[in-house]
Amino acid sequence: MRTHQLTSALVLAVIASWSASIIGQGSAGQSVRPRAAASTTIARTPDGQPDLQGLYDVATLTPLERPAAFGNTLSLTDEQARKLEQAVADRKERLALPSDGNRAAPPVGGDGSTGAAGNVGGYNNFWIDNGTQYVTVDGQKRTSIIVDPANGRVPALLPEATKRNAARLLQTTSDEQESSDPGLERAANAYDDPERRPLGERCLLGFGSTSGPPALPVLYNNLHQIVQTRNTVMIINEMNHDVRVVRIGGQHLAPTVRKWMGDSIGRWEGDTLVIDTTNFTDKTRFRGSSENLHVVERISRIDDKTLLYRFTVEDPTTWATPWTGEYTWPVTDEQMFEYACHEANYALGNILRGARQRDRESAAKRSENR
Amino acid sequence: MRTTRFVLALSVAIALSSGGSMLAHHAFGGEFDANRPVLLRGAVTKVEWVNPHAWIHLTAKEVTIAGEKKTLSGEGEDWAVEGGTPNTLLRRGITRDTVKIGTEIVVDGYQTRDHTLTRANGRNITFTDGRKLFMGSSGTGAPKDGADPTEPPR
Repeated sequence: MRTHQLTSALVLAVIASWSASIIGQGSAGQSVRPRAAASTTIARTPDGQPDLQGLYDVATLTPLERPAAFGNTLSLTDEQARKLEQAVADRKERLALPSDGNRAAPPVGGDGSTGAAGNVGGYNNFWIDNGTQYVTVDGQKRTSIIVDPANGRVPALLPEATKRNAARLLQTTSDEQESSDPGLERAANAYDDPERRPLGERCLLGFGSTSGPPALPVLYNNLHQIVQTRNTVMIINEMNHDVRVVRIGGQHLAPTVRKWMGDSIGRWEGDTLVIDTTNFTDKTRFRGSSENLHVVERISRIDDKTLLYRFTVEDPTTWATPWTGEYTWPVTDEQMFEYACHEANYALGNILRGARQRDRESAAKRSENR
Repeated sequence: MRTTRFVLALSVAIALSSGGSMLAHHAFGGEFDANRPVLLRGAVTKVEWVNPHAWIHLTAKEVTIAGEKKTLSGEGEDWAVEGGTPNTLLRRGITRDTVKIGTEIVVDGYQTRDHTLTRANGRNITFTDGRKLFMGSSGTGAPKDGADPTEPPR
């Protein structure tokens, strides 16, 4: 029995290394053999396909792009992973410690915080839920979600894409999925009206490609639910309650029909669900992409508690080569909660009101100078 | 030793690279004024347990804005403080009712860019003794080990 298990493990290891060796060879449309569990043991729907249904929490410490310090190293050693995960746990514990009840206000001119906290400090860490562990694939903790190219980073933008994106900045139509807040001083026109604000800020899509495709982990609300029938697979995303409906065996819509999350059709390749998505709007702009974005997702079951989610992204008008990422979707026993984003989105009003105040101040200054 | 140094270097690298991944529903710098730091002391009047951001309302009896402190007698001044997504806390068993109306809190943050609004980001929301509002909020400050009968159920 033990020999049998060892042999199975070796076979799986060989398959895994073979799979790893072919990473990077495929374009978005090419098939990659899944590293799923033995096909006879997984749960199946009445029509015989693998049952991918369930509620998954995809929060992870593994970033989409690999920090440069890792170079081409795809996996962490056990000791590295343990120390890095411990460092994150320690940091969270520190941030939960009591503050001084008699503290003063933060400094005038901002507190120096970067990212979304935008020099005013954001909010307490207890609102954040970005995972506690690095993703484990093939028994190894991963340094990045991206596995191809080998450096684990999104390929450089083509010159035409850089030019296109720069023009967007000048036009200050800020239809990105998330807000990187160029600042009133740097891009005042980006605050002229709600239509210039990012899709996430307007509650049109969750930020950070949480719904995808490709679906990526973000700071919080990382739950996805898959519901499956013979001819349709639905993926519900907690953030914004964005719902993707995948037509199994369907044909893509006419190229004139454009959608925020693209048009998704699916097919089964063995025990892997392959989802092909095109027909994006030119406003989705996934990491600088255009409306020519094409995403192929491959979802397979590793065991009864885990899916492997693999995706390849291509856009010949944005990147010279396709790129691929993969990470696991662990099942969760938590609940998915409502996300009625529009009902309480006071932030958008506050942002626009702040910009109008600035307009009034600028006008007053101009009339003073006359 | 070498591994420790390597991990340390990686931790720094990850911390530096995480700036790009620190995306959010909106950037706080667009909503709040870095030149208007506030410190508020007062009692909770309402909790809006809503997405994309929870809002905690208080009647402040002491308000410090950009270094100017005013103590308000009588009715005080109503402020609203922006937090994060309540879903994260709901999963830890914390609900809108965890913080009782009338609880005295201390908030530091920055006022909205529109100074006619009495709103700020809840950069740090604590009880008056400094404990974080949603950490150990049952009154013991202890980890949620089930030992405290007043602890909200998980």
